[in-house]
Amino acid sequence: MKPPTAGCALCGATWGDDWEEVDGSRLFFCCEVCAKQYRGIVGEAKRRKGWAAVDKVEMQGDFRGRVCTVRYGPETNKFLISFFEDGELRTFAELG
Amino acid sequence: MALCPVCESKSPSFEALGVHFAEETKKSDVGHVMWLNRNVTKDKEAEPELPRLLEGFFDIDGIGLSRWIKTRFIERFFGKRPHPFVLALQHPTKPVLLGYVLEHQHFLKQWVRSLSWVLAKTDSPEATREELDNITTEFYGHGSDQPSHYELLLRMGESFGLKREDILATPPLPATARAIETWQSIGRTRHWVETMAAMHSLELIANRDVKRDGATLTYFDPRILEGGAVTNETRAFLWEGYEADVEHSEVPLEMVERFAGQLGIIEDVQFTFLRSMEAFDSYLMARLERGMQFDGGLAAFIGGGA
Ligand SMILES: [Zn+2]
Ligand SMILES: [Zn+2]
Repeated sequence: MKPPTAGCALCGATWGDDWEEVDGSRLFFCCEVCAKQYRGIVGEAKRRKGWAAVDKVEMQGDFRGRVCTVRYGPETNKFLISFFEDGELRTFAELG
Repeated sequence: MALCPVCESKSPSFEALGVHFAEETKKSDVGHVMWLNRNVTKDKEAEPELPRLLEGFFDIDGIGLSRWIKTRFIERFFGKRPHPFVLALQHPTKPVLLGYVLEHQHFLKQWVRSLSWVLAKTDSPEATREELDNITTEFYGHGSDQPSHYELLLRMGESFGLKREDILATPPLPATARAIETWQSIGRTRHWVETMAAMHSLELIANRDVKRDGATLTYFDPRILEGGAVTNETRAFLWEGYEADVEHSEVPLEMVERFAGQLGIIEDVQFTFLRSMEAFDSYLMARLERGMQFDGGLAAFIGGGA
């Protein structure tokens, strides 16, 4: 299937063909490690805030670390997150 | 012949290597997709251009292997998006330097192990002399007038109030440990010329001549060596690298170029250098992550890219 113009939901690349369901949405990823990281971002946001779901994920950065702004209803959670090359969580820091 | 920088498979031409990458990305293969994203392009539209782009990335014609290594290294650490640790080191705060001390002690121990793989495997007296001299400067020192880089690192840590025994007792962060495993595995499994390239290329990080070769900045702002911006011990540590690493990176890389050409292993050297550079990128992030344990505000250096 053709990738969306925005590319991989995590890194923006249009290589690959990995469509996965995350929290009820079907998303395009360039590879399974990007999918694992995206799940990690949503999962950490929900777990640390006790949210049932997330509405929106905005990201800035690259493989060395991403600043994520995650929204659920009126609430916002902003953090820095990075992963190892295998998609395991590497760093997480809450940002004000 | 073209060597795949991910799986090491051999292709008869860059045309064929481009086809190999196209096939692997269709399978969403993690290694190949990630490599293209980081080193060539994230844009699948560029698929027909892959042979030309890959050839451009690996081509050493007219510049030679040593200069190719320098170009790739500068592009990664001092290019359009400089490495976050380099940005933090321009005018380093105490937490940045503490991160440096606590992780780098482990790097320097691996440094000796890695160069010792070269010593164990080489039959070249020239390479042996080079590595013995380097190990002495980095780890053993030349008498009490010229302490080793390792000793200067520990003194820098002490100048910030850390106890030597506490520094030595601090284990590496997982990211540092992973990078060290990569370098240990390179030394164990690869040709000694590849190991030389893998390690001595990393000394380019402190080479003050990188600006001449296209870098937008150097490892740190040299003005911090003047005046009271940093502790005397910090100045001594940074100055040593500033002085030594020009010679330490240039001479061995020239040797690598010569030996790799004679032995016909240029592609293997490129492969191993790229692997080492990736490990080093991750290791430099570990220094910053360690610094974040002392100052969460260092997070501001990360995540600014596109
Ligand atoms: Zn991706
Ligand atoms: Zn391959």
